[in-house]
Amino acid sequence: MPIGADLVLHEESDPDTVRNQGDALGRVIEKTATRWKTPLAIPLMDLRLEKIDLVARVGVSQKEAEAFHFTAPLDDETVVTLCGRDAGLFCPGSVARDQALAYIASIPGLLPIGMTIGPFSLVTRLMADPIAAAAMSGSGISPEDSGEVHLLMQCLQIAEATVERSIRSQVAHGARAIMICEPAANTAFLSPRQLRAGSSVFERLVMQPNLRLNSVLEELGCDLIFHNCGELIDAMVEAFAQRFHPVVLSLGSSRKLWEDARLVPADVVLYGNLPTKSFYSDGAMPVAEVIRRAEALVAKMKACGHPHILGSECDVLFVPEACDAILKKVDAMMAVTAPAAPLLKADS
Amino acid sequence: MAQNVDLYDAILNGDAKKAHAATEAAIAAGVQPMALIQESMVPAMDEVGRLFECEEYFVPELLLAGRAMKGAMELLKPLLTAAGQKMAVRVVIGTVKGDLHDIGKNIVASMLEGSGFEVIDLGTDVSPENFVAAVELRKPHVICMSALLTVTMPAMKLTIDALNTAGLRTQVKVLIGGAPVTSQYAKDIGADGYSENASGAVGLVKNLLAGEAA
Repeated sequence: MPIGADLVLHEESDPDTVRNQGDALGRVIEKTATRWKTPLAIPLMDLRLEKIDLVARVGVSQKEAEAFHFTAPLDDETVVTLCGRDAGLFCPGSVARDQALAYIASIPGLLPIGMTIGPFSLVTRLMADPIAAAAMSGSGISPEDSGEVHLLMQCLQIAEATVERSIRSQVAHGARAIMICEPAANTAFLSPRQLRAGSSVFERLVMQPNLRLNSVLEELGCDLIFHNCGELIDAMVEAFAQRFHPVVLSLGSSRKLWEDARLVPADVVLYGNLPTKSFYSDGAMPVAEVIRRAEALVAKMKACGHPHILGSECDVLFVPEACDAILKKVDAMMAVTAPAAPLLKADS
Repeated sequence: MAQNVDLYDAILNGDAKKAHAATEAAIAAGVQPMALIQESMVPAMDEVGRLFECEEYFVPELLLAGRAMKGAMELLKPLLTAAGQKMAVRVVIGTVKGDLHDIGKNIVASMLEGSGFEVIDLGTDVSPENFVAAVELRKPHVICMSALLTVTMPAMKLTIDALNTAGLRTQVKVLIGGAPVTSQYAKDIGADGYSENASGAVGLVKNLLAGEAA
């Protein structure tokens, strides 16, 4: 679980250095899996990497990458440059991520799992106001009629190419499953009102790019773990589960997994989804509440008979003064399933 | 004056072009800017907020309505200034130091502006010192701070501490929001309130100021 890798990383004396050193990062991921007794070597959830690699091609430094946004439609030459599959080096974080995968792949009993931001979520980081552009697209405004919609579609094209490049590199380094994180494919960015009115915006901006990436994964013989911790409507969950058909579907704490089970094929494992975003606060989420919620979730999932892995809803990044509080709760959560049952059900 | 139906509908439907055209037409017809704001624009944004609360509208609709409202306001601001008129309540808003996320903050700013407040947007990565400077200079009634990341939440407390140190804390109400923030956290750090969404933030500002006036 990403929250675990993040916590273990911050036990290192110099986390920022380890983050960029492949073998050291690999040992952190190995230690995380060992500590919480899981065969799933889930890496650090650093969803900045693909954007850093992408904007480097237009001369934006790593330091400036997070704040950088495209502000006007791109010329054709720039689009071609940004879509190039092989041009340009990966940033140190991406190189370390890949080397860590190779390290994990050499350890028997651990499943090397890669990680990437999804194409639509990457788009939302490339534009200053992606919600408005998506909403305009959803209302039927075409790229020809709006510069913002034009840029949105260009960003989607380059984002998909960037994610594909990341996936291919991670698989080449040993990943046997890739976690594609699409947290922005949610009701804050894509209006259910527009979807109810028949808009194809969700299909065009989320489903089609991810289906093409799914085909790439199939071609490479790599499994898909699909993660989305955003606010979703049932139709979105159903589309992710049935049309992507991931081996694992990871959802945020706003979803009731035991109810979502009816939307999800029986061979898709549901993962999650305690509200780990609140773990930093002992007031909002005391340890006893974590245990109560974990036990209740496990019981409900057992009752509904759907394969399930208890875990976090999302990455919860390091909060210096709350590190012990978060760690206590992660330990408590994992202890709920650890003593008596294997983490993976036999049929998953 | 009767409500300007074209402007009201344009904002409600998030149509910036129509809102702009309706505002221009109203100005040309001699309608007073403050009347347009109070009788057409604020009611439209109130209705947007109501539709959001009952889940008829979602964030994209809020944002488009806010943009339509903001575009119309840009036409009215010079006229208000020339007439010596000001909005009654001033709000300073920003994303805290170390945090570059601005979507949530922008939506709250749009909704506040749409509700008739003067909004001073400090942008993202705003240091405690810059919040303090804005309070000293602009004398807002309310400060709104946003943080998307757990790592940047502590900057909210640092900002409140800085306001205390500068002797300004009692002069402003402090509201906080953002994905990892909770009402408990607001209490813990000494903020005056927390809202989980933009529509709620508008109500919170109104309630806090009404409570102060009472």
